[in-house]
Amino acid sequence: MRTKLFKVLALLVFASMLLAACGGGAAPTEKVKVVIFVGMGTGTDPDQVDAQNALAEKFNSTHDDIEIEFLIVPHEEYATRYLAMLSGGNAPQLVGPNGVSTVAEFFDTWEDVTPYIEADKLDLSDFYGPAVELNQYPDKNTGLPLGLYPSYVYYNKDIFDAAGVDYPPHDFADTSWNTDKLREVAMLLTLDANGKNATDPDFDPENIVQYGYDDSWDGMRGSLANWGAENVGRPTSADYKTAIADNPQWVQGLQWLSDGIWVDHFIGGAEVQAARDSSGVDPFGPGTTGMFYSHTWFLAEGLHDLSFSADIAPFPYNPQGERVARIDADNFTIPKDAEHKQEAWEVMKWLTSPEVIVDVCRIYGCIPARKSVQSTYLEMLKADYPGIDYDVIFKSIDYLDKPNNEEWIPEWGKIEDALNNGLSLVYSGEEKDAQKVLTDANAEVQQILDEYWATH
Amino acid sequence: MAKPHDRKNISLARRESLWAYAFISPWILGFIIFTVGPMLASLFFSFTDYNIVDPPRWNGINNYVNLFQDDLFWHSLGVTFKFAVVALPLGLVFSYLIAVLLNQKVRGVNVWRTIYFLPSVIAGVAVALLWVRIFDPRYGILNPLLEKIGIEGPGWFSDPQWAVPALVIMSLWGVGGNIIIYLAGLQGVPTDLYDAAKVDGANAWQRFWHVTLPMTSPVIFYNLVLGLIATFQYFTEVYVISSGNSNGGGLGGPARSTLFYNIYLYQNAFKYFHMGYASSMAWVLFIIVLCLTLLVFRSSAAWVYYEGEVKGR
Repeated sequence: MRTKLFKVLALLVFASMLLAACGGGAAPTEKVKVVIFVGMGTGTDPDQVDAQNALAEKFNSTHDDIEIEFLIVPHEEYATRYLAMLSGGNAPQLVGPNGVSTVAEFFDTWEDVTPYIEADKLDLSDFYGPAVELNQYPDKNTGLPLGLYPSYVYYNKDIFDAAGVDYPPHDFADTSWNTDKLREVAMLLTLDANGKNATDPDFDPENIVQYGYDDSWDGMRGSLANWGAENVGRPTSADYKTAIADNPQWVQGLQWLSDGIWVDHFIGGAEVQAARDSSGVDPFGPGTTGMFYSHTWFLAEGLHDLSFSADIAPFPYNPQGERVARIDADNFTIPKDAEHKQEAWEVMKWLTSPEVIVDVCRIYGCIPARKSVQSTYLEMLKADYPGIDYDVIFKSIDYLDKPNNEEWIPEWGKIEDALNNGLSLVYSGEEKDAQKVLTDANAEVQQILDEYWATH
Repeated sequence: MAKPHDRKNISLARRESLWAYAFISPWILGFIIFTVGPMLASLFFSFTDYNIVDPPRWNGINNYVNLFQDDLFWHSLGVTFKFAVVALPLGLVFSYLIAVLLNQKVRGVNVWRTIYFLPSVIAGVAVALLWVRIFDPRYGILNPLLEKIGIEGPGWFSDPQWAVPALVIMSLWGVGGNIIIYLAGLQGVPTDLYDAAKVDGANAWQRFWHVTLPMTSPVIFYNLVLGLIATFQYFTEVYVISSGNSNGGGLGGPARSTLFYNIYLYQNAFKYFHMGYASSMAWVLFIIVLCLTLLVFRSSAAWVYYEGEVKGR
């Protein structure tokens, strides 16, 4: 009886399998899921999360074969989470928005997108040239450009007015706007509790209530990339084998910074930065800094609800007579261990396409890397940040640092830490002699490079 | 030949053992999977060149050799020892004294006990953020208080000379756990010993020195061992404080003054992707802590008194 029942059941199962196989034409094709890992840079604020979800909905409703999902990871956990996903064989299909620094940090994990570009014969001419170059390394192209964040000087017009000092010139050809002039102006804007500026013999450096200048949101490479060194923002020779962090231009730049903090007093030291950090304020927003050197991403972060009027001006010429304005950039990258890389490439193309790139950049605060959408983006800028000189933003792109201050070098994280330790010595006042700081840092960088090349 | 009665007893004992193993099996499984397994894996990685992304490559004892030639390894070990030498004894003494005070028969002592224990239930990250505000040289509450007594407060976490002392002060915040354990020990001291000491004419100090201290020495020993291990694992607070410091040189700043051993280990693992090297650091730390703990255990014969223990046996 039981054998009979088993036979009947087996027959039924076989028949149903046969029917399913023959009549399966109407079954919907399953979508390939592309997970976009967000958290290496911006993109984790609640409003950004909502906007990204809306973007995913837009993509998913218009694509039958691919489904995207933004995986939001707290910024503090990006490294551990990403590495855990990689080592667990669960690499995300796309990672971004990625700054040049995080591209460098995980450089070996990225897929080279050159074959995808060539296979699609993708025209890159609409992207700003520098934006493409920032992703291009000798042995790989890490991704399509998404956005740029040029840098310039944000200035507090009320502080300038109160001090009776002219605003920084906006004319990019005006070479009188140089680092000496910046120092001079910044000292005039720096005030102690008695209202005396930093040029006054009775100025009290122990009771400063207003600083003239700040560039504290960048590391050593970023702070010195503007000083006209041959290697610009890279602390090594072009073959990455020799440390050249103690080059004369970097020493000059770091001494300028050190003197700005400890001799001329127009830049706040570590104590001032710590106070801002613990209070959760940026250097510019409280209205106690005359000029703040930063990037386009600071527009979204710091140019809302100001109690004073502000504008932007180009970064000044360096003592070598050149203007270099460091730049940050974002892209999306494909981990080489990811599944469905072709689909990830399709999504990358969509995110950076002329039709979508403006929306994406609006979420992340970057200038779209495509020239064709500049006017559209400009209208949005005008609506969001009225009254600033938008030309300064776009023209600053032409003066970007190349090699970039965040670009890949061997042992990127280790060398960054070695250099930033030097910057910390200056900001804390432990060592005020730039030559000594950079000589020591250079020796450490050289040792790191030697160890690296001994095994590579 | 065992009698049926004995067989029944053995069987019962076995059954109880099986039940015991069954009940603790979730823990044993968890221990094997989540502790022993990763430990063995890290032991293997410590003999490899492993960057997480590519498969590990065997490189023998190179990681250990490089470790002892690494200046930052010695620096981080030095920072950790410096912190441990001050923070550990200070924490033990401070919590012991508070426990002695909380063991007095005074009005509202339970309220005081609660007050002193409460801070230890707050998580490390929240505590770190709180103390960053307290130590803030410009807007914090500590420096203005010091100014009132004529002391110019330092930059604390932004000053390489004062960052570790600030962490030592901060570490006293979490002594509530120690206090509770001490309190339990203090309340276990038989009162007849105090009565006998009083009859012998011992004053308060002598009673404390000759009765309280020896009788609570096992508890002090316990707190010392746990404190030693915890001090060498110090991480969260430094991670939170130094990573949020602009131009402090990043993790372990300012100027590497708070580059604790575990911070450097973390950097090697998750920032420099030298997981093999970081694993060797973890094993060296394990051996250091093990040696120190064994040293404390060996020394305990000289200063820990167990009631009922007969010396020389």
